[in-house]
Amino acid sequence: MLTPDNRQALLAGARACIPLAPGVLLFGMVCGAAAAGVGLTPGQSFALSWLVFAGSSQIVATQLFAAGAPGWVVVLTGWVVNLRFMMYSATLAQHFRGTTRLERWLAGYLLTDQAFAVTLARVLDGRKDIPWFFLGIAATLWVFWQVASLAGIFLGALVPASWSIDFVVALTFIGVLAPLLRDRAMAAAAVSGGLTSVYLVLPLKLNLMAAALIGAAVGIALEKLWPKSRSGA
Amino acid sequence: MAEIAIWGVIAALGLATFATRLSFLALLGEGELPLWLRRILHYVPPAILAAIIAPQVLAGAPGLAATLDGPRTLAALAGFAVALLTRSTFATIAVGMAVLWGLTLVQW
Repeated sequence: MLTPDNRQALLAGARACIPLAPGVLLFGMVCGAAAAGVGLTPGQSFALSWLVFAGSSQIVATQLFAAGAPGWVVVLTGWVVNLRFMMYSATLAQHFRGTTRLERWLAGYLLTDQAFAVTLARVLDGRKDIPWFFLGIAATLWVFWQVASLAGIFLGALVPASWSIDFVVALTFIGVLAPLLRDRAMAAAAVSGGLTSVYLVLPLKLNLMAAALIGAAVGIALEKLWPKSRSGA
Repeated sequence: MAEIAIWGVIAALGLATFATRLSFLALLGEGELPLWLRRILHYVPPAILAAIIAPQVLAGAPGLAATLDGPRTLAALAGFAVALLTRSTFATIAVGMAVLWGLTLVQW
């Protein structure tokens, strides 16, 4: 229910989104442009943006469509990229008691890395207005993302190939990856995932799936070898 | 892939993603993520992010004969350093692209 307090939290969330806007807009445009660039129709490209609504998964699906992977490989690989949302969902749910089902379903649909990270910081500050703050930042990010996607879908072809704008994808992922490498097990998972995707060429474009599984296996194995390197999951 | 199959794949990926996001929110935190699953979920993001990044700094296709692309590798390393220092995705992109364009301009 939109009480005055909730309204205030909603607006605070929307404002908290502003520092994230440049990165989100740029990445959204690149995702839209990439989808349209591999020959998906504007409708399909935009469907990726609002149905999947997760940049890294959209990029993976786009690359696999372009590589001619079977449909089930696209769905499975794109979904594995998004498994992390289950962790976020479990953490967020603890702060969503007393909300309506509609509010929780909306929160689920809008859940992203950025909205989760900023909301978690507010949780650690001891604030109680978490659900509406989250909805404020997540919905604002959603609007930015869709506008950026549409811009990328319709204007992406105007950017000359010599600008190598596709490399923004790699740099965005580097920006997300670097802060994750807090201990040796996480670094080892990353290194083995990267090496797997370069050296292990599998049929049906299953490389990314293999990289995720091998990387996770290496990380867990090292965590057992060096229990000290375990960080709070 | 046929037009209709592409739509099916996008819809299936969208639904699977939504179900994953909604999972514990729908249960209202009554459920707990088992430890083994939490372990796997903890290590999948770095593995898959690195797996997406790595082929993009190669000069050609992945495989045993893969070689690095000079400008892209250096741009990626510069971006990585900026990401560690600033934690800003935008600064990472800005510096990485500047390095890539600079090296391309001087005809690496």
